[in-house]
Formats: sequence, C-alpha cells, structure tokens
Amino acid sequence: MAARVLQQCVRSFARPSLRLCTRNVAVRATATPAVFIHRPLSFAAESPRTRLFGQSRISVGVFCRQYGDLPPLTLETIKERVMYVLKLYDKINPEKLQTSSHFMKDLGLDSLDQVEIIMAMEDEFGFEIPDAEAEKLMTPEEIVQYIADKKDVYE
Amino acid sequence: MTACTRSKVLSLYTRVFRVARTWQAQSGVKADTETERKYIKQEARTLFRQNQQLTDPEVIKTRIAECEARLDIGLHYSNPYPRATYLPPLGLATLKGRNLGVQQRLRKQAKPIYLQSHDET
Repeated sequence: MAARVLQQCVRSFARPSLRLCTRNVAVRATATPAVFIHRPLSFAAESPRTRLFGQSRISVGVFCRQYGDLPPLTLETIKERVMYVLKLYDKINPEKLQTSSHFMKDLGLDSLDQVEIIMAMEDEFGFEIPDAEAEKLMTPEEIVQYIADKKDVYE
Repeated sequence: MTACTRSKVLSLYTRVFRVARTWQAQSGVKADTETERKYIKQEARTLFRQNQQLTDPEVIKTRIAECEARLDIGLHYSNPYPRATYLPPLGLATLKGRNLGVQQRLRKQAKPIYLQSHDET
C-alpha cells in the first residue's frame, strides 16, 4: 500500500516538472537546444527516483499545488483487499473462501477468530470499527458493505 | 456463558489486540518492541483459547479479572510479561515429603489473580 502512495506522489510530482522542462526550452535559447529537447524524453525513460532528483536542480518554483492522497476506493478494490487479507489468515482455507462464506457456519471459525479478522480489516483500511458493529460482520460481503458505508463509496 | 460475559470477553480480546498494535517497549529498542507485540498477541491467543470452554460463572469471573489485571499491570509498568511472585513460606515440600496437601493449599492461596491461568511448573 505504501508503494502505491509513493508511485502516486511521484507521478503527480513529475507531471508539472515535465512542463517545466519544455518552458525552459522556450526561455533559454542556447546553442544546444537538442540537449534540452532530448531531456524530457530522457527523463521519461529514467526511473521515477532519478526523475525526482533530476528536478531538484531546476530552481524554478513549482507551478501547481500538490496534495498527497490514496487512490479513491471502489467496491471492487475494497472486495479485493478484503479477500486478500482473508486469504493471508492462516486458519482460513483459501480454496473454500468466497464472498458469501459465513465465518462460523461455512469456514468453521469461532468468535475469537472473527475478532482477529476484524482487527486485520481495521489495520488494512486504517479506521476503527466499534465492537457493537464488529460482532455482526459475519461474511466478507458484509464487511465490504460496511466499509463502503463508512467510506462513502457508491457505485 | 451468558450473553453479557460473552460480549465482555470479546471486548477484552479486542482491547488486548489494540494495546498490542501501539505497544512501545520500555527499553526503546525496536527489536524488543516487535518481540513484545508478538508476545502480547500470542499470549492473548493461547490463554483465551485455553479458557474458552469454561462453564462455571465464578471461574469465568476470575479469568476476566485476570485479563483486566494483566492489562492494567502491563500498561502501568510497560512490561507485558507477568510479574513473578515468591513462593509462600513453607510452600515447597520438605525433604521428608510430608504435608503436601497443606503446601498445595498454601501455594494456591498465594497465587495472584494475574497468574490464575498459568499452571505451576
């Protein structure tokens, strides 16, 4: 998840800096315009990290404000993440796991395991689920619905 | 097990796990923090499973009190491990092996609340 955030930040950082390169080309009419024209292309070919360091040498101000945030949640992504976390839990058989499988009746877990699963969901999505509502969530489908309700995800 | 004790036990379980999530070791060493967090989770899992099948309400109450005691003591001293206690005086068998029943009673009486789930070793 942290890698995704980093990619998003770098992508949003690199976009205006590519604009900066083309502006520099127009401003400085130097003897080697070919080098400057090649530079945006070479930056595009390099990895994101060197792109970041390359821009720090240009001391022109940033032209747009940037905010960091996670990519927006959709019902699909929530479902994928919930199923991924459930598959990582060692007491669940990944083959038997489906969206509608009940923890206690189908998968044979007990209430302590269900508490651990809800804890894992809290860690994954980063917000607290109160006890009263946590003990009602008995299938992955219900968990996805609950998270979508809390995070205002519509479709 | 009544409904209210069930919800109390489950909320204690969540509380222990929430404590384990943000636990910081007293020594400040990162490896210790990781070890202690794992220890808290492991201890909670084993002890709760060990006591899962109890039916006597008095015993259940003592176990709940034990969990709360361990939580309070652990948070107060920043030490998740149970506090060691001394043997009571005359609590271990004499060379001649007599008075075993008395000693067992003494030891049982002297066992603190937060060690009730642990057997004598």
